[in-house]
This record gives sequence, structure tokens and C-alpha cells, in this order.
Amino acid sequence: MVTEMDQNVNIDDVDTKMEKKSLIHCNDVNVFYDDKQALFNVDLNINEKEVTSLIGPSGCGKSTFIRCLNRMNDVIETCSFNGSIIINGQDIYDPEIDVVELRAKIGMVFQKPNPFPKSVFDNVAYGPKLHGRFLNKSDMNNKVEDSLIKAGLWDEIKDRLNEPGTALSGGQQQRLCIARAIAVDPEIILMDEPCSALDPIATARIEELIDELKVNYTIVIVTHSMQQAARVSQRTAFFHLGNLIEVGDTEKIFRSPDNEQTEAYVTGRYG
Amino acid sequence: MSEHIVSSFDEELNEISDGIITMGALVLEALKRVETTFKNNDHNLAQEIIDSDAQINDLGQSVENKVFNILASRQPMANDLRLVFSAVKMALYLERCGDMCKGISKRIVKGALNEADSEDTINHLINMSIKVYSNLALVLDDYGNKNCQNALKVWRSDSEIDSLYSGVLTEILNAIKSNPDAINTLVPLLFIARYLERVGDQATNIAEETHFIVTGEDLTDEAKIQIENETTF
Repeated sequence: MVTEMDQNVNIDDVDTKMEKKSLIHCNDVNVFYDDKQALFNVDLNINEKEVTSLIGPSGCGKSTFIRCLNRMNDVIETCSFNGSIIINGQDIYDPEIDVVELRAKIGMVFQKPNPFPKSVFDNVAYGPKLHGRFLNKSDMNNKVEDSLIKAGLWDEIKDRLNEPGTALSGGQQQRLCIARAIAVDPEIILMDEPCSALDPIATARIEELIDELKVNYTIVIVTHSMQQAARVSQRTAFFHLGNLIEVGDTEKIFRSPDNEQTEAYVTGRYG
Repeated sequence: MSEHIVSSFDEELNEISDGIITMGALVLEALKRVETTFKNNDHNLAQEIIDSDAQINDLGQSVENKVFNILASRQPMANDLRLVFSAVKMALYLERCGDMCKGISKRIVKGALNEADSEDTINHLINMSIKVYSNLALVLDDYGNKNCQNALKVWRSDSEIDSLYSGVLTEILNAIKSNPDAINTLVPLLFIARYLERVGDQATNIAEETHFIVTGEDLTDEAKIQIENETTF
């Protein structure tokens, strides 16, 4: 099993090969649902301003893992966590952490687009309002526009800001959800199978957007599509039965992975 | 490595590998016949070699088509991707080998050996063809067995083929110097030697490709330099 131990965040902060700084340091992460263990001693560093794909068969723990990164698992009563996840030098599981603020800094996009039953404008403005930002109307307008531009949606819907977000196409709804996440100035965007409910054209638009967003944001994406992982990410981590089996440059994982289980999975021999 | 969940994927990959192996067998057969024609100056056999090249070309085309389809329909990854990607190059190398055998045979049919009065030169060509055959057989064996144990051995051995080629070249050039009238009968032999040397090069290319398929790593320049430093010619 491959581990990326990084007990001291001041050491090994820099991936020398890629010259990328690690932003997220996950150390000895274990997650349980009641007595059933879902993740086992996961050590993984995630580099800033690049895309990391999490791949693996259903039930391998990749979604459980990504939900640890903004403490979404906290809302599951039976779920318990031990280990540490350090971002910007701070353990996000520190009891003093403000979870609402944490989730603003670490936005999340889900498998199925989930716009609020509100207008397009209100969907994007919701987060800044919740966090008490942009009380000035003009600033809020600018923020909404800026977020929709960054999500690659502005040109398509700038005349439909008052229409319900749910009236948009599936792909547009997903980009609206990305705009909603961007509006609260996150540092990290988590995407849990963001294209699985979209057609190929909408998928291509999201992938293009991911490519643009990585300039400013650290992105972690769960995907079942090996080709998508190969297209959008710079690093790939393979999970199996709750263990992190292998992590490395995406090119390496899909060209010649070190681990036989990884190779069996990416070539379609798993099982 | 276990089988794919989709069994037809295995079948398609096997068809590609089998295509390469069959091409290799045909090229080896052509090389063996080339050696025989050197010994017997058998023009009929040389013509058979020329005619059989079309079959090698067709197989190469067939492998390319299969690769095209599998890339579009399966998007292979890791070892499968390496095998599929390399198959295109392997088919090209083998198709070139077939062309070289055809080129040699054409010259034999035109009478390259008829007036060659140097038994030594013919013997050197026979030695070259035996070495080239041996190298090609080794690397194709590796390919069929999905290992690369002979890759470096073939690299080393190719230097010997290069040495033999240099020897034949010097021999022919000296003969031309001493008897300029013999140029028309000796130059075809020069071409034949050159073709054999190039088939040897293709064997090293195939060795590199097989090394890549099996290990996922390129046969590095460092490894090649080390081999070259070990050998002088």
C-alpha cells in the first residue's frame, strides 16, 4: 500500500518533481460508519492549484474521502473520523473550526446538479448573503456576474438571471452550482462525479471549465470515468476497499502504474 | 494479468498481438529464404519472396485497422494502451523488414549474384542474414512471450551486424578501387548488405518496443550508451 506520510507540514511541502506545493495534508485518516470501517489509514497530500482525481470501484471509499475534506460527513450521525486533515497549517477537525466558514473555503459540487428553487441570480448570491458579504447591491451584482463568468455560464444566461435555476439544462445547472461555490471565494473545490448525470457536450463544457478553474483553485474530483481522470487531472489516487492503493502523476497511473491492483482496475480487469 | 471483464476486449487485443506475431513469422520466413537464395542464387525463390511481401503489407494494414477500432471503442489504458500503441509501430517495423527482403530479392532476380565473383562477400552476406534472423527471432519471441529478456542482448548483437556491414562495405569498396569495371556487379551487393543492416536495426526497434510494452519504461539512452561503450567496431 502506498502512503504519503507527511507528519510535519513544514517538511515535504513541495512536490519537487512537479514543483507544486501541497495544500491539503491528510494523515492517517480513518472513517467509520458505526462499526464498519470505510477508510483505512489514508495518507495523501493534495497539491494546490491542480486537479487531483480520486478513482476506484463503487464502495472503495473515494466519496467518503472527498466528503472528509470539508467535513460533509459530519452530517451523518453514524459516521466517525480519526486522523488529521491539515489545510493551511490548520487541522480542519479541530473542534474550534467554524464548519460553515470551512465549507465556504472548500466548496462542493455533487453528482446531480442541485440548484436551489430560486432564481439564477439568487442561487449565486445565496452564499455571499449567508456569509454577510456584499451588502451593497452593486457589489453583489458584480459578484454574481464574476462568478457566472468564471463558471463559463454568463454569456449563455445573462438575460435569464431572474429565471429559476431549475429551468436551466442539466449542464447549465451544474455550472450554476459551480458558480454558487465560486461566489464565496473558495480555495478548494470538491467535485463528486460532477458529470455523471450530464451528456457528452455538457461534460466537455465542465471539463473545459475544470481546466480553467485549476489556475485559481485546488480541485479534487471523484470520477468513475478513467478517461475523464486522464483528461482533467494532474494527479490520480486509486482507492480500493477503503485503502489508498496508489497515488501519482496521472500520466504515470494510466501509462504504467506501479501497483497491479491499479493496473487491473484502470484496464478493466478488476473483479 | 487476469482477463478483462469484457471478454471481447481480450479477443480484440489478442487479434492485434496475433497479427504482429503472424507478420513476424512471415518476415522470418522471408529472411530464411533470403539466406537460401544467397546460397543457391535461386531466382524462383527470390520471386516468391517478392510476391509474399504483399501478404505482410496486408497484415500490417489489418493491424492498423484493428488498432484504430480498439482506440475508438475501448480507450485502452496502462499495459493495454502500451500494447495497442506499440502495435502500430511494430507493424511498421515489420512491414519495413518485408520491404528490405523484397528489395534484396529484386536485386537477386536482376542477377546481383550471377556475376559476383567474391565468395567471401557472399559468405559475409550469409553470415549477416543469419545474425539478423537470429536477432529478429529473439525479439519476436520476447514479444510473443510478453517479456523483454533479449532486448539488451539484441542491442549488443546489432553492433556485430553493423561490424559485418562495415566489413562488407570496405571489402566491396576496395574491390571497386582495384577493378573499377566491376562497379556494376558490386554495387547491388552493397545495397543487399545495406538492406540486411537495416533489418537488423528494425530488430532493435522491435526490442525497444517490446521493452516498453512489458515494463512501461523506455529502453533509456543511458542503457544504449553503456552498450555502445562496451562495444567497438
